[in-house]
Amino acid sequence: MSTVLQSLSTELADAVQSAGRAVVAIQARRRIPASGVHWRPGVIVATHHTISRDENITVTLPDGTTVPASLAGRDPSTDLAALKLVGQSFPTPSIRLDTPPKVGELVIALGRPGPSLTASWGVVSRVDGPWRTWQGAEIDSLLRLDLAIYDGFSGGPLIDGAGRVLGINTSALARGVPVTIPGATVERIVTELLERGTIRRAYLGIGTQRVRVPESLARKLELQGDVALLIVSLEPGGPADRDGLLLGDVLLEIEGAVVSDPADILAKLGGDRVGRPLTARVIRGGQMKTLQVTPGERPKSRAA
Amino acid sequence: MTAPMTARLARELAAAVDELRRMTVQVRTRGPAGAGVVWDSEGSNGSALVVTNAHVLRGDQATIELSDGTVARAQVVARDAKRDLAALEFEPPRELLFAVVRDSPPLRLGEVVIAIGHPGGLVGAATLGIIHRVEQEREAGAPRWIRADVRLAPGFSGGPLADTTGRLVGVNTMMQGSLALAVPAAEVEAWVRRSHTPVAR
Repeated sequence: MSTVLQSLSTELADAVQSAGRAVVAIQARRRIPASGVHWRPGVIVATHHTISRDENITVTLPDGTTVPASLAGRDPSTDLAALKLVGQSFPTPSIRLDTPPKVGELVIALGRPGPSLTASWGVVSRVDGPWRTWQGAEIDSLLRLDLAIYDGFSGGPLIDGAGRVLGINTSALARGVPVTIPGATVERIVTELLERGTIRRAYLGIGTQRVRVPESLARKLELQGDVALLIVSLEPGGPADRDGLLLGDVLLEIEGAVVSDPADILAKLGGDRVGRPLTARVIRGGQMKTLQVTPGERPKSRAA
Repeated sequence: MTAPMTARLARELAAAVDELRRMTVQVRTRGPAGAGVVWDSEGSNGSALVVTNAHVLRGDQATIELSDGTVARAQVVARDAKRDLAALEFEPPRELLFAVVRDSPPLRLGEVVIAIGHPGGLVGAATLGIIHRVEQEREAGAPRWIRADVRLAPGFSGGPLADTTGRLVGVNTMMQGSLALAVPAAEVEAWVRRSHTPVAR
């Protein structure tokens, strides 16, 4: 009789069943357990904010057994953490990296806030372009979701109608709005966490504000645009201070690229920039000036 | 752009909802109406049985309004406040479509379900969702619930939660955040068999 409706139902249940074999419960906080995904053999991906301790972490596998796990590393700025399991073999999910999710696509969030798997459905409501968390981490394209959040949402996978994992869900990156960190970002962060245990991010130690350069000055200096960044704070002894940037300098370009938004600076500060000098052009006292600034490694939990 | 699958899905969903509405009644005592499920018509003297939540009822009498607008007086014949179930008997004015309980296969996580109710006086409203959790084990004595990711509102209480073939999987009973909790249909069936002794007339 109603064949399409029944097929939809069956396919969704199949998708949940297949992806659910790689979803685990993680006991690393006082309250109810959080979720995690068996991302690579022996490696569980979870959310940083649901792991409140570094030791005595246990993981409940889909078959119900509970085993110890060790924390391989965590990255507060993307809210991701990687755990290692020893001697366990169970499925890893198929991860969809080739076709990006579309707005309106039907998706399911899985969780395991205890022995039982849970599911909720909804749609992708927005796909942001490269997006930065307030701590400066770059997320390739954050997915915003229209679905209900239940216990165990964070750390669980978002899956498509075929059971393929699109990313890791978290409620902690966008003020409680359910979002998904896409698979490509998870891959990148997990690889680095497994190698180093932490994510390196370069920083300059400046705070900036957008300003309009007076037209006459812009003409005189032959600027490409008239919006630049005024340096309004400078960390004493920080990389920018050390290399001679001053309060009141107006930052125009970094490495030849115009900067007209604080995010443009962050875009130049990947982990690989630590210790490698950048060329900065500034206006100082009405004159154009070119300086070399060497980013340092950002101390933990500091913005800009 | 043509979307034959989406068009078929929409048609099938409308048909499924239409059928479910016909087995869903309004149950009125004092206060706002709740929902009820036409259970069967094998009561004493050809009377019909409606199952609803105990919390929907005030007193032993209620007014039942069928999906076609027909109104009948009904008598409460069984009530279990703990399980929040109640059964009412009434004289059916016509042949009724009654619920068919899904005995098998077992519910699957992620399966699509449909709930019918009367939120805020909106008669026969439908909402769609999926099964949220299938309990593997439970503490002894703890009530069994079907948990569905379905957005309910007051007025859905006592109404049907059904699968995509229109078979009853539960009686919607309460909301827990944005989660719907329903008494499993098999449990309702056992309760009706146990507690319903036809009223002598």
